[in-house]
Amino acid sequence: MKPAIISTGLAAALLLFSSCNESGDGKKAGAAKKPKIAYVTNGVDPFWDLCAGGVRQAEKAFGIECEVHMPPKGLADQKRILETLLAKGIAGIAVSPIDAENQTPDLNEAAKQTKLITQDADAPKSARLCYIGTDNYKAGRAVGKLVKEALPAGGEVMIFVGRLEQLNARQRRQGTIDELLDRPVQTTADVKFDPVAGVIKGDKFTVLDTRTDDFDKARAKSNAEDAMTKHQNLACMVGLFAYNPPACLDAVKEAGKLGKIKIVGFDEQDAALQGIKDGTVHGTISQQPWKYGYESVRMLKQILDGDMKSVPENKFFEIPFLIVTKANIDEFWAEKKKMEALGKQP
Amino acid sequence: MKKNILGILGLFLAIFIFTALKNDSFLNAYNMQNLIKWSSLYAIIGLGVSFVIITGGIDLSIGSVIGLVASLLALMLSKGINPATCMALVLVLSAGIGLLHGLLITKVKLQPFVVTLCGLLFYRGLARYLTDNQSMGFQGHDALDSFFSGKVAITAKFALPAPFFFLVALAVLAAIFLNRTVWGRYLFALGNNENAARYSGINTDHLKILSYVVCSTLTGLAGVLFAFELNSVQPASTGEFYELYAIAAAVLGGCSLRGGEGSILGVIIAAAVIRLLYNSINMLGISTHLEYAIIGAVILAGVTVDELVKRFAARRRAQQQAE
Amino acid sequence: MLMAEAAPQPLLEARLLSKQFPGVRALRGVSLTLQRGEVLAVIGENGAGKSTLMKILAGVQLPDAGEILVEGQPVRIATVRAAQQLGIALIHQELNLADNLDIGANIFLGREPRRCGFVDNARIHAEARTHLQRVGLDLPTETIVGTLPIGRQQLVEIAKALSSQARVLIMDEPSSSLSQHETETLFRVVRDLRAQGISVIYISHRLGEVTALADRVVVLRDGENAGELAREAITHAAMVRLMVGRDLSQFYQRQPRPHGEPVLEVDRLRTPAHPRREISFQVCAGEIVGIAGLVGAGRTELLQTVFGVTPAVGGEMRVRGQTLRPRSPQAAIAAGMALAPEDRKQHGLILAMSVRENASLPSLRRDQRSGFLNREAEQTVARNTVEQLGVKTPGLEQTVQHLSGGNQQKIVLGKWLALKPRLLLLDEPTRGIDIGAKREIYRLMDQLASEGVAVLFASSEMEEVLGMADRVLVMHEGRLAGELARDQLNEEAVMSLATGATARTELAK
Repeated sequence: MKPAIISTGLAAALLLFSSCNESGDGKKAGAAKKPKIAYVTNGVDPFWDLCAGGVRQAEKAFGIECEVHMPPKGLADQKRILETLLAKGIAGIAVSPIDAENQTPDLNEAAKQTKLITQDADAPKSARLCYIGTDNYKAGRAVGKLVKEALPAGGEVMIFVGRLEQLNARQRRQGTIDELLDRPVQTTADVKFDPVAGVIKGDKFTVLDTRTDDFDKARAKSNAEDAMTKHQNLACMVGLFAYNPPACLDAVKEAGKLGKIKIVGFDEQDAALQGIKDGTVHGTISQQPWKYGYESVRMLKQILDGDMKSVPENKFFEIPFLIVTKANIDEFWAEKKKMEALGKQP
Repeated sequence: MKKNILGILGLFLAIFIFTALKNDSFLNAYNMQNLIKWSSLYAIIGLGVSFVIITGGIDLSIGSVIGLVASLLALMLSKGINPATCMALVLVLSAGIGLLHGLLITKVKLQPFVVTLCGLLFYRGLARYLTDNQSMGFQGHDALDSFFSGKVAITAKFALPAPFFFLVALAVLAAIFLNRTVWGRYLFALGNNENAARYSGINTDHLKILSYVVCSTLTGLAGVLFAFELNSVQPASTGEFYELYAIAAAVLGGCSLRGGEGSILGVIIAAAVIRLLYNSINMLGISTHLEYAIIGAVILAGVTVDELVKRFAARRRAQQQAE
Repeated sequence: MLMAEAAPQPLLEARLLSKQFPGVRALRGVSLTLQRGEVLAVIGENGAGKSTLMKILAGVQLPDAGEILVEGQPVRIATVRAAQQLGIALIHQELNLADNLDIGANIFLGREPRRCGFVDNARIHAEARTHLQRVGLDLPTETIVGTLPIGRQQLVEIAKALSSQARVLIMDEPSSSLSQHETETLFRVVRDLRAQGISVIYISHRLGEVTALADRVVVLRDGENAGELAREAITHAAMVRLMVGRDLSQFYQRQPRPHGEPVLEVDRLRTPAHPRREISFQVCAGEIVGIAGLVGAGRTELLQTVFGVTPAVGGEMRVRGQTLRPRSPQAAIAAGMALAPEDRKQHGLILAMSVRENASLPSLRRDQRSGFLNREAEQTVARNTVEQLGVKTPGLEQTVQHLSGGNQQKIVLGKWLALKPRLLLLDEPTRGIDIGAKREIYRLMDQLASEGVAVLFASSEMEEVLGMADRVLVMHEGRLAGELARDQLNEEAVMSLATGATARTELAK
């Protein structure tokens, strides 16, 4: 009796969902006979909505259709999505692998069946045709330059980041530190990392600590608060993940230390952009997420058209990051809003 | 049913004094303010889940309800809906969620774990869908903001944060309910032995439903407070895993997961212990990677000592009786 | 006490065994001897210590003091396996068989004969057959145990014990769930075993069975030896006198009292446990009505349905003339009912709560002050309970967990008295409590009945039913097998109805 009810319920729910999907997909399928490609993210995040904006822009520009998939819960979901896409016979995939090392066999399998490129995060050992991404070490150095700009005389700096397990976070952090300590530029592929614990002291700048918050914004904020309590001479906060600069800004504002403590950030959350406009945030480094989407679609389209010349020799297509300060904030924010609107379109 | 809260209070004081001795800045007004603020926020959800845990249930959906409430609040405010209406709607929604949980658990006889686990997924998904997964802020709602996350100056340097007053009011109400009313007594009876409570003529279903409604409503209120404290909402992540903090506070504060036990003051102190640990780790400059290990170890040690003390007391009592 | 000079060396001897549990002294210096080929009955009221004694002999528990000798040699029986190696096997009230396995597999469970590392099924079944024949069972050994009726399962269990070379079989209330025919079969098997030189310790509540079967009777009372009866001295009256320590008429107090109007009228009531059986009866004010029957006859289920715990699936109920179909205990309580359930730790008490909190639980709502606890009223209710029933407790704040069974049971009853119930339902009111507490509970039942309360109690203790009831309802397999008035009451009449032998129904109308 009971299982029967449950299975009936499940069936009904599935029917409901599938009928929803059909009405959406049906239109598209009817309209287009072009090859279809897919853009697969590593999770659900506003960052990816901006990327989707770029995807939509490129769809129009190059006359190709691209599905955007955001796996809600990690690796297993991403694997499932990739398998489904392959089963559908998708023509090309641009993916941000969650665990590059261990996904390599799966990615190789996908590369056999379709045109595969990676974006945002690379899987260097896989048979992907190309990687589209930012050089996070270089971006980190740019963050360091912003700090130098904000504090010409030097001072104490704290770094805040979601997780240091991720390579991009470590590279950004190292780039920042190297720049602040005026060390020589390292090769991105082979960066030596400073240990997380311990104070790193240079001539002008001292990096006091790096605190992580596991993507919990409440902890991001309380980490910033605690830093102000512990270090009375703190001169600058560096937030390396999108939500870190706004969390720092909030904490600094409530402590009444606006202006006394500089904030330098990464990515482009609205609160951070507003801070730049108000002069409370010195500047931020944007990876221009929409370019990930745009360039991924463009690259796949060209590969599908048989044009392999656009693939760089070293298989790395670099998306240039953009330094956003008061000088270019209005222009940048307008671009972001446009892409946001585009990304929200189904 | 008075639980011994000395153990948890001792733990709190030990960490507090240790940190104060090691770090000069720890005791300054700004840090105390922050500690009180965060402790209050997490204590409110700890109180909520205590009601459910006293009845022998569990609520895993707390984090997602916080996310949903915060997202909807931001969404409605951004659409220009009257703030009072928004507040009323999200609180009614939270109470409704609790009612739904309670009905599914008592009338359909589903496991609380299953019901609220599905809730955890469902509300999170709903929040993301309704808001298009966009981060949202609370610009231009200064009145609301100062009500929910403002500060009341006590001295020139020290101010009490708004969440603290919410916590005090709620804690007093909860303590009165649990210790002074018939239903409070029923709740403990139900948690200790549901059958015996039923045989004594207690409507156990109604009480269980009530406990889930209280839990979700407090969670909803906490969602509002968190939203204004953080000034921004990420539908996908706001409140994620907060149920674990709430449950940890409730259990550390003396609520037995087998039900029937609980102390309001204990839960509040326990919530403060967890926040204090995070604060101390930052103050002492311990590597950020060690945070979880330290918090897990301290909580485990606290619970173990508590259990050993309890067992020792029980043996003493048995011996006294035998004589 | 010891008859060492006359008897040969006993097969099994227990000397001055003591055992203490938290709050209870279960055994105080109990001794017992068992000869070869003897059927020894151990009797005593509930809580007298029979089960504890048997568990010690079978290695389930260790005694705190005293010694055990097998063939004159002191032994330590720390585990069930140790007991088995000494040839002692316990046949539990609840059988220990794997329902899903066949007879052969059950008999050799855990010590299967092997050949080349594989279970030797051929040998299992061949040997199982011979053991089955010893208990008079002629069944294929491939039969799945779960498909057998309970009486036959019990015989399989005995065969299993015999297969491990048991010399002493301890049978704990073996007839409590058997039909009359099955009981007779069991007796025949026990007598056969005796003839084969096997000794049997037979524990029973049913004095009639004891008279028919036992060579000797050991009587326990409140954890002590109360006396012993040799074959020729075994009579019903003698056994009861030893069990309760005085004459029956003194023990079960009953004042003559008039019966009033019917308080509970049950008409074709059907319980969820036996939805096809219709039950009709009534209980009047000032009347004490007993419900007798075998284990599983549906006594508890009937009381629970009347009280609304498991709502009826059909039929009518009237309480003091008002039609009532309680769907919850609240409704039953509102109509003036109270139930002291069979399992007081599961259903009767909140063990971690204090005497005060337990005693006041049902009356909290009545005494409330707009939702708030009325502390004075609560205190009064608790104090009255303790005084009225003579609860021995260090104070009102003592957690009931640490009280003895008798005092716990008094609180279960006492918590209802504050509500002045018109109909008191008692399910096994004296299970697991000492003689003193029993007397007080009997006195209370009698007193309440004199005050005009209708009392309906279910009991598996024959003496209690015979001693206390003005009228007895006997249940068999979910139906009312018959009703016996006071002047028709005797053990044989109750047993024959309870085992479904005849339907000598003498309905009131």
